[in-house]
Amino acid sequence: MLRRYLLKRLVVAIPSLVIASLIVFTLPRLLPGDAVQLMLEEKAYGKDVDDLRHKLGLDRPIYIQYFTWVGNVLRGNLGESLWTKRTVTEELGMRLPITLLLGGLAICFAIIIAIPIGVLSAVRADTMRDYVARSAAIIGLSVPSFWIATLAIVLPAIWWGWTPHLGFTEFSKSPGAHVLQFLLPALILGIASAAGIMRLTRAMLLEVLRQDYVRTAWAKGLREGVVVLKHSLKNALIPVVTILGIQLAQIFSGTVIIESIFQLPGMGRFLFDAILQRDYPVIQGINLLVVSIIVLMNLLVDLLYAVLDPRIRYS
Amino acid sequence: MGDGLSRRDLLKAGGALAAAAVGPQLGLHGALAQSPKRGGTISLRLWDPPHFDPHLTISYKTNILYTFSHNRLLKYKAGPTVQPGTFTLEGDLAESWTQPNETTYIFKLRKGVRWHNKPPVNGRELTADDVKYTFDRFVNEKGNAYRNMMAALDKVDVLDKYTVKFTLKEPYVWFLDMVANPMALAIIAREAVEKFGDLKKPEAVVGTGPWMLDSYRPNVGLTFVRNPNFFLNGLPYIDKVEVTVDEDNASRMAAFIAGKYDIGWEASGTINRVDWVQIKDTLKQRRPKLQTLEFASNQMSHIYMRTDKPPFNDARVRRAISLAFDRQGLLDAVAEGVGVFNPAVPAAFKDWALPVDQLGEGAQYYKFDPARAKKLLAEAGYPNGFPATVSYATYGSTIQVDAVQLLLKYLKDIGIDAKPIQQEYGAYISTTFYGKYESMAFGPQTPFLDPDNYLFGPYMPGELKNQSHVNDPVLGDMLIRQRRTADVAKRREVLHEIQRYVAKQQYYVYAASGVYIGVWDGALKNYVPNLGYDWGGRLLAAWLDR
Repeated sequence: MLRRYLLKRLVVAIPSLVIASLIVFTLPRLLPGDAVQLMLEEKAYGKDVDDLRHKLGLDRPIYIQYFTWVGNVLRGNLGESLWTKRTVTEELGMRLPITLLLGGLAICFAIIIAIPIGVLSAVRADTMRDYVARSAAIIGLSVPSFWIATLAIVLPAIWWGWTPHLGFTEFSKSPGAHVLQFLLPALILGIASAAGIMRLTRAMLLEVLRQDYVRTAWAKGLREGVVVLKHSLKNALIPVVTILGIQLAQIFSGTVIIESIFQLPGMGRFLFDAILQRDYPVIQGINLLVVSIIVLMNLLVDLLYAVLDPRIRYS
Repeated sequence: MGDGLSRRDLLKAGGALAAAAVGPQLGLHGALAQSPKRGGTISLRLWDPPHFDPHLTISYKTNILYTFSHNRLLKYKAGPTVQPGTFTLEGDLAESWTQPNETTYIFKLRKGVRWHNKPPVNGRELTADDVKYTFDRFVNEKGNAYRNMMAALDKVDVLDKYTVKFTLKEPYVWFLDMVANPMALAIIAREAVEKFGDLKKPEAVVGTGPWMLDSYRPNVGLTFVRNPNFFLNGLPYIDKVEVTVDEDNASRMAAFIAGKYDIGWEASGTINRVDWVQIKDTLKQRRPKLQTLEFASNQMSHIYMRTDKPPFNDARVRRAISLAFDRQGLLDAVAEGVGVFNPAVPAAFKDWALPVDQLGEGAQYYKFDPARAKKLLAEAGYPNGFPATVSYATYGSTIQVDAVQLLLKYLKDIGIDAKPIQQEYGAYISTTFYGKYESMAFGPQTPFLDPDNYLFGPYMPGELKNQSHVNDPVLGDMLIRQRRTADVAKRREVLHEIQRYVAKQQYYVYAASGVYIGVWDGALKNYVPNLGYDWGGRLLAAWLDR
């Protein structure tokens, strides 16, 4: 049954990916100015623009460019950067692990911070602890992560002449330092997501705690930990898991700024530069990859429902 | 001071220039008296290059890196005796040069110059063929947007292994400056291009320069190590140049306070004044030995307008805009009030720029006088002003956004109701920068190091950079004349004449430039900042005394 469901979901994902590919291919081309104009900027001779456009294959009809690109993608070739001539796959190979690690750690931090506080807030609803937790969540939602990151770097420098780790240490050089350098940026990135998850956890858990079967559990004399964590939390987590899937897209967009601030050579900064330079193959490659990851993660989230709630059946 | 140009403005500007003039004499000669020390690593914040082929990008990010690894035929003198804003030619790979006639230049190369001992060139000797190859590729490469710098070049001939002859199509007195310009004309190796197809890959960075590219980590940094076979004996003194790519200003600022960079993180080794004001007290405590030197910037923004059609084809309208433009107000708002007023040539170029109070009749239009501006508009037939647009890009700078907002206010004050059209950088460059805009625009120019590039393109009919659509035969004649006047004093006179003429016409309304604050660690000796991309040249004879 699960296999059939999986297959069905994967087939349904194909039109999504085709539409996404059309969007990521077309939208950058609708922006005024192209890579050639940016390469030559104000210093081009009259014919240079056309010559270079021809050299880069940008003078071909747009549908031919699209089908050529899709054909190459299906063969695992995402093309090569118009600027560096390095293949997009090679570039992504260097950068994707960094962004994935950063994003993954950020999600972990978000969960570690949000779920316990959300639970505590729900169980101790309308007490001082609840008010503090909810206020903290509002602040977490309101304060942009780049601002927290800026303060986290600048204030220690001004106060003590010290900065957190800036720059990038490769895993091969120092595995410990490699992982450590991600902790602060991931924590900051996770805070904004944590605020939303915490509020949802609280709201959902409050709803579950008011249900009859929970009252029965209390009446049976079960301990608070068992009632809350075993009987209530699992059911409350289904919408939270859904939100986690959505948060993933938010975290990916958050990496653009956080990677710049902490000098991490991930995909976010790379995408930002590619957009400024109208490096179409890179923009297309990254976006298609991100869309694919998000589609897959949402599929994973759907599968997680069954783990959390055995009553859910896939058909 | 012309007709009432604010004394305060010029005192401030003059003070900054004076600081720049005397700066090198303050304690810097002490460095010359010390004996240089070999060794050490200098840490810099620079930029991640789009790639490494200087003929396929105009990016300063690539060009600056080439000043560490490559040489040019000529270069501008560097060191503590050089006043920022002045540029004296001296040989780099060329030992000497002669000019037998107006259109011929002959360069004698140094003997025994070796390429870096790396594949595919493997330390072979540099010859005249390399020079010819470089210039031929420079002018023939389709993707080279800088090739108009060599528009006057007809051909390059190799006379013998160490002698190369350049023949121009017409006299062009700025030719030597173009050859020395660190923006584009580093001498490259044919083998590297042939092996890699172009020079985009870091492996293709094989030069003759003082440092060799040791590693490149995209978006992270680069490391240069000392070239043990560099042709100037004993140089460079510094063993390693560690470059960090840091795209976030807060991060750069924090890293600088913590002592992670030895030189200011912005253009030419400076720190923006706004940042400087915020951190100078902290720096006094954390890095008390920091050295500073102020010098005027050649970053110059201007208002350009469609002078080929009404209302901007009327000089009175353009003059009114200049009178309405509070240059000092803008400096107060975005540059802590410190800056220099620019004629058509940046005031930073001490050898060529005419002080604003010497612009003759045109000097009066540098005064902030909205009442007179309104009067001029009325005389031109616009007593109630007129609607207009101002196209611009932010260049990722809040200063630029603030400047445009103030400009709109200044225009509104005299009745010009200008609608802002903010464009994304790519869109701006492909339309507005090429002169395709509705009525007015505002933005910076490329910071060249010679006056010709600030004048010929913007004012010569038919030139791509003629953003204001100027078509003035009198001016055109002067522009060609300065390009043909070899005698420096006479050329300066022509350039002054041009600056006076365009100040009167106000085809472009120039904003003031800021005054840079060059900052470097006290342990870095025999170093002085200057305008331009030649970071490697300025560090060549510097040493570290940690």
